[in-house]
Amino acid sequence: MKKFITIIVCKILRWIGKILGKGSSLPGKIALKICPDILERVTLPPYIIAVTGSNGKTSTVEMIAHILTENGKKVAWNKEGSNQIEGVTTLVLNSATLGGKVKADILLIESDERFARYTFRYIKPTHYVITNLYRDQLTRNGHPNWVYEALKDSIYPGVQLILNADDPLVSCFAEENQKVIWFGAERLEQDTEEFCGIYHDGKYCPHCKSLMEYRCFHYDHIGHYSCTGCDFKRQEAEYKITKADLREGVITVNSEHEIHLQLKSLYNIYNILAAFTVASLVGIKEEKIAKSINGFVAKNGRVVTFTLGNRKGTLLTSKHENSISYNQSIRIAAACEEGCEVLIIVDAVSRKYFTSDVSWLWDIYFEGLNRENIKSVLLAGTYCNDLAVRFSFTGIPEEKLQVLETVEQAVEVLNNDKKEEIYVITCFSDKDKFLQRVVR
Amino acid sequence: MKILHLYHDVMNLYGEYGNMVLLTQVLNTCGIETELILQPLTQRPDFSEVDFIYMGAGTEENQKVVLSALSEAKEELKDYIFKGGYGLWTGNSFEILGKLLVDCEGKEWKGLEVFSYTVRQQKKSRLTGDAILTSEGLKEPAVGFINKCSYIEGVSQPCFRVLMGMGNEKEGKTEGIRYENFTGTHLTGPMLVKNPYFLLKLVSDLVKKERNEELSQEERQALLTGVLAKETAAYEVTLRELRKRMEK
Repeated sequence: MKKFITIIVCKILRWIGKILGKGSSLPGKIALKICPDILERVTLPPYIIAVTGSNGKTSTVEMIAHILTENGKKVAWNKEGSNQIEGVTTLVLNSATLGGKVKADILLIESDERFARYTFRYIKPTHYVITNLYRDQLTRNGHPNWVYEALKDSIYPGVQLILNADDPLVSCFAEENQKVIWFGAERLEQDTEEFCGIYHDGKYCPHCKSLMEYRCFHYDHIGHYSCTGCDFKRQEAEYKITKADLREGVITVNSEHEIHLQLKSLYNIYNILAAFTVASLVGIKEEKIAKSINGFVAKNGRVVTFTLGNRKGTLLTSKHENSISYNQSIRIAAACEEGCEVLIIVDAVSRKYFTSDVSWLWDIYFEGLNRENIKSVLLAGTYCNDLAVRFSFTGIPEEKLQVLETVEQAVEVLNNDKKEEIYVITCFSDKDKFLQRVVR
Repeated sequence: MKILHLYHDVMNLYGEYGNMVLLTQVLNTCGIETELILQPLTQRPDFSEVDFIYMGAGTEENQKVVLSALSEAKEELKDYIFKGGYGLWTGNSFEILGKLLVDCEGKEWKGLEVFSYTVRQQKKSRLTGDAILTSEGLKEPAVGFINKCSYIEGVSQPCFRVLMGMGNEKEGKTEGIRYENFTGTHLTGPMLVKNPYFLLKLVSDLVKKERNEELSQEERQALLTGVLAKETAAYEVTLRELRKRMEK
């Protein structure tokens, strides 16, 4: 009876919440108050797929949901992206019958790295994807190893781990777990033999602290590594990107499936590959997966094109406090051969919490913008002076830099007849301050 | 002037290299030639003939690796600090200079015993937050961010008073350590970049060491409006934002 009431209450609250445009975590929160063990009382589907990692969780989950749904599976998933235990509870109860049976073939959960251990105590994934562990929101997360320790507690015996072979820290999760499927990229055309970036988190072996050797770097410390002191090394991937043609914007998976990229960058390739792997493990044929991914248009608005007067531009949503995310955006701007102007905005560090810490600016490889084709760089927002300090050490000539206190001023400066495309690099917390002043 | 950046490749979690980039630039502006020695984990440190030692924050695991590595050079390091050697250790790096360090699993590690404090780490929650810290030798407060998992008991000479943020001890109102010319603080990342006035005091001390007289008032002013102009503007904004936050 308690189960029945809890489910009813959760469904009604969610229904009201949707009308009022509220988020999805409150109904679950109340459900857990009424019946703390409600998640143990419901009947879950045979497949429970969880996705976590620093970057790309939402994109990966959206893609998996798209592939599976298009291929006839009924998927229950957290579309709103609320990824802590309350949001997951709302999802589960809202997808359940009043008798407590989840009406889906597959439950698909995006999970916050730090809270996975609480959520999965009740809902144990059958398949668990970990995409990457980067320096991300360190003002909350401490550092990647701190997150690693928290995530380790969320891995229960018997789960099928699906891990990124190219990320040394992620591959450590395999240690005591025998059931691992690896995904990764083979040596790619644009790989480098030398490390390129500010900090090298793969320099030393996570186990024995000896120097690691890299046969190639895809970007930052992601690549093919092996330890010079013990037997720790990158594992051979079962699902792999065998070719990446960024001029054409096409990657090849497992030597035969071509997938077209929405953005000609490595930005999304691991999300695609992780989704491909999961869908294949659930039993979808590889040809069908590739077809679904090719027809998929991401709705999350990470990349927005706009016009400002006669000028064209692209806003690349990057994550503040996440240097790898910024580095990816910088690469895209740097690859613009026709020449471009770049605007970087740091106005609020986070939309969810307060901090004025800008240490992370020093981890970003802004030096990548020191190129002929980058005609100028505008630095704007509350923390424009901190940006200016950081840029004074990039080697970019001072006459190419302009520091502006507000986004409004930056828009005014850019609103002219120049021919170059504009690239805007900023975060969720700041992007609307720009987009509301241009035509989308 | 020889500046040693200890274990720059592992004690580097929050962009600490920025401190050395700026410090050497400002010293050069003051007419002091600098040699920046970037010491990797794979090399044994040499403190002889060094004028300044810097170390930044690392993972708890790497902190222990560094502790073990430095144990070999323990006496030399003690000697350096006790004889008035200059240094700045930020983040969790200065924790290893105490008597005892108890890690997240309860394991006890013998410290380098330069100082007599005890460090207790825990893994329940990460201790993070913005900070405003004041110090007697400094007219303007220091600003920054603290990111740690420990509390320290038994610091006899703290460096700062806490205006906003966390101190050495739980609920404590003092932060870091200060011994003659050596400073330890949990402020992380490029704290010298964020704090031009703190940096200026340090530069002034190092200038005095080199040529026996401090920076004059005019020289300080010239640095603040010249090479440190952007840093000073950024500092004012951060202090303003943090004060606003404090009042809330």
